[in-house]
Amino acid sequence: MTRTPYWAAFTDGIRRTMAAPAELAVRIGFFAVILVVFSSLWRAATQANGGMIQGYGYRELLWYVIAAEGCVIATKPRLIEEIGDDIGSGDIAIDMLRPVSVVGFRMAAEMGEAVVRLVCALSLGAVFGLVSVGAPPSLEGLLAALPAALLAVGCNLTMQYSFAAAAFWVEDAKSTWFLYQKLIFLLGGMLLPLELLPGWLAGIARLLPFWTTAYVPARLMSGHAEWHLLIVQLGWLIVLVAAALAAFRAGERRLVVTGG
Amino acid sequence: MRIILSTFKNSLIEAWTNRRSFWLQVSIMLANDLVWVLFWILFFERVSTVRGWDRSRVLLLFAILTTVAGISLGLLANARKIGQLSAGGELDAALALPVHPLAFLLVRRVDTGLLGDLFFGPILFVLAGEPTLERTAIFIFGSLCGAAVLVGFLVAIGALTLFIGGTGEQADLGFQTILILASYPVDIFGGATKLLLFTAVPAAFISGLPTRLVDDWQWTTAAALLTAALLFASLGVALFNLGLHRYSSGARWTRA
Repeated sequence: MTRTPYWAAFTDGIRRTMAAPAELAVRIGFFAVILVVFSSLWRAATQANGGMIQGYGYRELLWYVIAAEGCVIATKPRLIEEIGDDIGSGDIAIDMLRPVSVVGFRMAAEMGEAVVRLVCALSLGAVFGLVSVGAPPSLEGLLAALPAALLAVGCNLTMQYSFAAAAFWVEDAKSTWFLYQKLIFLLGGMLLPLELLPGWLAGIARLLPFWTTAYVPARLMSGHAEWHLLIVQLGWLIVLVAAALAAFRAGERRLVVTGG
Repeated sequence: MRIILSTFKNSLIEAWTNRRSFWLQVSIMLANDLVWVLFWILFFERVSTVRGWDRSRVLLLFAILTTVAGISLGLLANARKIGQLSAGGELDAALALPVHPLAFLLVRRVDTGLLGDLFFGPILFVLAGEPTLERTAIFIFGSLCGAAVLVGFLVAIGALTLFIGGTGEQADLGFQTILILASYPVDIFGGATKLLLFTAVPAAFISGLPTRLVDDWQWTTAAALLTAALLFASLGVALFNLGLHRYSSGARWTRA
């Protein structure tokens, strides 16, 4: 059976991550620390607030954190910088020699790597959640959260490629990873559920794509079986893939590589 | 001492040479810090106090933490890279000099972006820390002690690479862990985690205790903080010195 190049890139990504257990252990170890910190914070906060904050109890908030942080930690934090470096140095020209889409091939590989991290993070999170507060608040929410987690990782990766494509035009674009990360933190709902933001800010967050990367799977995991959120994610994923492909197509036409 | 000061001066000049890049990186770090301030403001809009911590106290903690980070990770940027440099066999250049290699390594590199923290911390203290002469003096004392603890801890876990091998993964994890634990009020943690913050991962000495001192000066707390600073600084130097006996050159003459 012949493998398509994209499927080969995806499975190679899985193998590559599995072949670097120390790096994976550091990432998942950090995820464990985050869980300890946020579980402590939200336990103290809900206790100080009579047990509920904007409709979330401690149990809901802990499962929210597990899903939100697990989905974000699955992707490389500095992917935008890495892509920017490849564009800036001209290394990306080597990828352009292959008879496949540069961005499609790279995203397939990144998705393979991210899936391994996602599975490890959510497995650890599940154990942490079960021991700390018991099962997720609703089975239906859990069932919806699992595909949403995969879509969240897909949206995150494609959005990072769209951001990184700016490096074809702007020299310092690779620094944008830092700002992107902060947008995910706040407008993506990674640090706080959108319900805890002021109304106007939550409204802006819902108009932008960042909430598909953390809030959507987290909201579902916290017991709110809002299936329409999956459709919103899918819609954004299509838009983001189209944007990344278009940005790279335009960028590749103006790429000038000096030396070799 | 003169060599160390000259090296440090050169590192600062090097960071300052590309002005555009300097201000861009500093601005990005300031924006990053502002997002955290915004997070805490939004958090305390919904939750008035958490175990004795309110918005102004957490902002004071954040001012101290960013100042500590500016010193330890901005001015002494190699503190967090000892593990990588050791694993890569990149200490050769430092070993050939007539100064202590650790002192040279620490001042050899300045991280421009993290200098943004060094601007942000004191500004936040002035704006939200209710500065008086006494509180400012304690803020400086606490930040310096916190920086000594952080640098000592980072050097110690980096130097472990010389004993256990690898490429410094434990140093990366330790770095990320101590920073995130130091970013939150120490009193939200309980039991074993709190014990950890005062021992193996000394995050409490980086931000929690200095914040307590600024709000409520106690000689015993100050003595504990100073002792921790001396202990962790000594631990870092001792582990690095011991580890050097096991160092293998990578035959790479780098700038370290």
